[in-house]
Amino acid sequence: MSQYNICSALVHAKLQQVNSVKQILQQQRGVQVHAQTEDGRLIVTIEDDDRKQVGERIMGFYDIPGVMSASMIYQFSDDEFNEQETLEIKPTEERMSA
Amino acid sequence: MKMTRREFVKNNAIAATATAAGVTIPGMKEVLAASEDKIRWDKAPCRFCGTGCSVLVGTQNGKIVATQGDPDAPVNKGLNCIKGYFLSKIMYGKDRLTKPLLRKTNGVYDKEGEFEEVSWDEAFDIMAEKWKVAMKKDMAANKGKPADKLTSTVGMFGSGQWTIFEGYAASKLMKAGFRSNHIDPNARHCMASAVGAFIRGFGSDEPMGCYDDLEHADAFVLWGSNMAEMHPILWTRITDTRLTKKDCEVHVLSTFKHRSFDLADNPIVFHPQTDMVILNYIANYIIQHKAYNQDFINKHVNFKKTPTDIGYGLRPEHELEKKKTGKGGKLSGISFEEYAKSVESYTLEYAHEISGVPKKNLQRLAELYAHPTKKITSLWTMGFNQHTRGVWTNGLMYNVHLLTGKISQPGNGPFSLTGQPSACGTAREVGTFSHRLPADYVVKKKAHREFAEKIWQLPEGTVPGKPGYHAVLQNRMLKDSKLNVYWVMCNNNMQAAANINEEALPGYRNPDNFIVTSDPYPTITAMASDLILPTAMWTEKEGAYGNAERRTQFWRQQVSAPGEAKSDLWQLMEFAKRFKMEDVWPADLLAKSPQYKGKNLFSVLFENGYVDKFKKQTVMDDRGNKYQNDEMEDFGFYAQKGLFEEYRRFQLEGVKKGHEQADFDTYHKVRGLRWPVINGKETLWRYAEGYDPYVKKGEGIRFYGNKDGRANIITAPYEPAAESPDAEYDLWLSTGRVLEHWHSGSMTRRVPELYRAVPDAVVFMHPDDAKARGLRRGLTAKIISRRGEIEAEVETRGRNRPPKGLVFVPWFDAGRLINKVTLDATDPLSKETDYKKCAIKIEKA
Repeated sequence: MSQYNICSALVHAKLQQVNSVKQILQQQRGVQVHAQTEDGRLIVTIEDDDRKQVGERIMGFYDIPGVMSASMIYQFSDDEFNEQETLEIKPTEERMSA
Repeated sequence: MKMTRREFVKNNAIAATATAAGVTIPGMKEVLAASEDKIRWDKAPCRFCGTGCSVLVGTQNGKIVATQGDPDAPVNKGLNCIKGYFLSKIMYGKDRLTKPLLRKTNGVYDKEGEFEEVSWDEAFDIMAEKWKVAMKKDMAANKGKPADKLTSTVGMFGSGQWTIFEGYAASKLMKAGFRSNHIDPNARHCMASAVGAFIRGFGSDEPMGCYDDLEHADAFVLWGSNMAEMHPILWTRITDTRLTKKDCEVHVLSTFKHRSFDLADNPIVFHPQTDMVILNYIANYIIQHKAYNQDFINKHVNFKKTPTDIGYGLRPEHELEKKKTGKGGKLSGISFEEYAKSVESYTLEYAHEISGVPKKNLQRLAELYAHPTKKITSLWTMGFNQHTRGVWTNGLMYNVHLLTGKISQPGNGPFSLTGQPSACGTAREVGTFSHRLPADYVVKKKAHREFAEKIWQLPEGTVPGKPGYHAVLQNRMLKDSKLNVYWVMCNNNMQAAANINEEALPGYRNPDNFIVTSDPYPTITAMASDLILPTAMWTEKEGAYGNAERRTQFWRQQVSAPGEAKSDLWQLMEFAKRFKMEDVWPADLLAKSPQYKGKNLFSVLFENGYVDKFKKQTVMDDRGNKYQNDEMEDFGFYAQKGLFEEYRRFQLEGVKKGHEQADFDTYHKVRGLRWPVINGKETLWRYAEGYDPYVKKGEGIRFYGNKDGRANIITAPYEPAAESPDAEYDLWLSTGRVLEHWHSGSMTRRVPELYRAVPDAVVFMHPDDAKARGLRRGLTAKIISRRGEIEAEVETRGRNRPPKGLVFVPWFDAGRLINKVTLDATDPLSKETDYKKCAIKIEKA
């Protein structure tokens, strides 16, 4: 069991600065950019990096030049997290009949 | 195929964000749909501001482990602001109160004693004892008096964060049970001016428009609102419209620069209080350029004027109160020509001179409002409301929209935003103000009281007819020993009230008084009390809130409260069991309803055949998940449902139309509905044909809150603030909030990340002002007024950039109580405090 914190955010950058915003984000520990939209919105996750907590990371987004808004989308936090536990992904038909 | 739990959670996070952005990540959805989630998800409105975002709350093993912006919610469309991230953490602060605490010395209650843990029984015993003494005294003082002359020493200070059920139960307990109108919500500090102006202008409280205006408008004007920090989700919607709609423009007005200025096409920093001048200038511009809508005015508008020089709501012995020549708000009719004449002196030159705003910015703003076709939404929060002329100023804004007919239409309208999650739904709508009854009825009118007494099954003359003490007056009356037993619920008024050094603190510590505070945390209000009751919060109980756009939203109880913490609803209802009717009502009143003799107050108020008519049942969602309801478990009936259905009778059976809500069960199924709800259909734009069912075909617009169906344009002049800088106190002080902390910080400061991000309040000031006082960024300054002083670090480069002559200090910091410094001047009409203006000086600490 361990602690696990993750948060996802939608970061809206000024179009002309979206690449530099993306670059700055990706350099931060625990931060990943998964996709971006044509109008400059970035799909970002922030995970615990043991040094700076998720909340502080996301608040820091506002200080990145070119960021217009950072919206929180999904947040998970569990002090007793079993990360090795595996989940079975059932084929669709099986679920339908279950 | 397998994935780890970590991967599963992370994929969910990515998928939810992709959905909110409107993009698909190939394969993701299918994988997630095919795996079993251990988390139970259910909707709830956010605990913080008045925006009313819906959040999906994820519960596992009795604890909230996850939250997600609700993708099905029309308000926030899957997004949450940064505070949303901390929602699941506000309930798990290390110092949550789990047992009642009473001040004691040697085992007995002592006002000067230390807090000790006690049982609920002991807590309610001492509380009931004190209440009974007070009411016995009141009954003796009131002997032979009619209902409109009754006095009371029993008070309650409530909240725009109460659930609808809690506010309704509190109002009923106070006004019907204890026969005291001395109940007021903390919403007095934030919304009362908006309420006053809505009633004066339209005869009915709350905005005509809704958040859909944020996509329909061509231009937005912010008047004293920093939406970027305080209403970030609504700001995101405005940003989207600004960036995607051709020729869309944003004007931002404030007394200092803040984050919302980043998006401003027309940034305007004006001298404090001169918003009144700017508004009258715009009205004058519209008239001079014949840009008013003559047809609209002919059909839908009356012109009125208001008494002037009405004082500043200070104590009567204050110099300013002695000097005033006018009183109250009684309106008298004038002609259009007289109205035009009243604003004639507000020329561009004059507006520029008084406000300090460059002419070209003022002109651009006036041209916008005068534009024949541009759709304009004006938004404001505390800048207009916390204003010694707040009702007037709200009204001056309506004047501009009414002159041009830009109102009650998609994209067109004045919109007052709220700061608390249920300032509208609870504080304003269920009658928790000292002068109100549920659904816009008022205690002053006998017919209204009789209507309440009928619904509540009470003898005629039960509800007192004199408006009670409002928020600011309550603190003064505690100090003056006129209020002696006082229950503070769901707010932190020792931190929030102005001038606490001279009023609130001496009031609470007055040996004549017994003060009770219900809160989840040991706030400074709780610590200044004599008894603290531990309280369940947010999803630890079933609840309902009403947001700024008239949207009512419900939630189910998700988890248990810690230890012995109980909801405010349970506390209010359970406490009623401690009183026999003979303890609270005099014999002559009881003689009118002899069936109540010997009964207890709980049974008269809550086992009245209506509130208790829904028997104990299992609460279940449409997916078959079951939920607890601790109050139902304890009382044996569905209290929330019974209270709501009884409250609805005020909307359905009275003479006032247009406040109708849907039935209880509907709200558990939908993402909120905007009232009036008629035949299951919500109303987006009030008073407008095609949207509002009370407006008949062919009428176009009808302001039916007023008998003649017309709205009032009310002229009012610029009058100066109660206290302005002078030679000694040479700076303006404005107070307010920051993004990271919500209001007094009692919840957000307990989240370690938020605390670390913004640990202390700083004083934002202009670098030249700092330099002139031997200060610079990072040094400690003393902020001194005639009433008190605090120390804070100087910030000259932060997110807020005041002009020379003004400083800004946020009020969330219990360690730096800026309300020791502020002035308790209020709008004499709304009784709302002006937290935005007083005179201070700054010295090097």
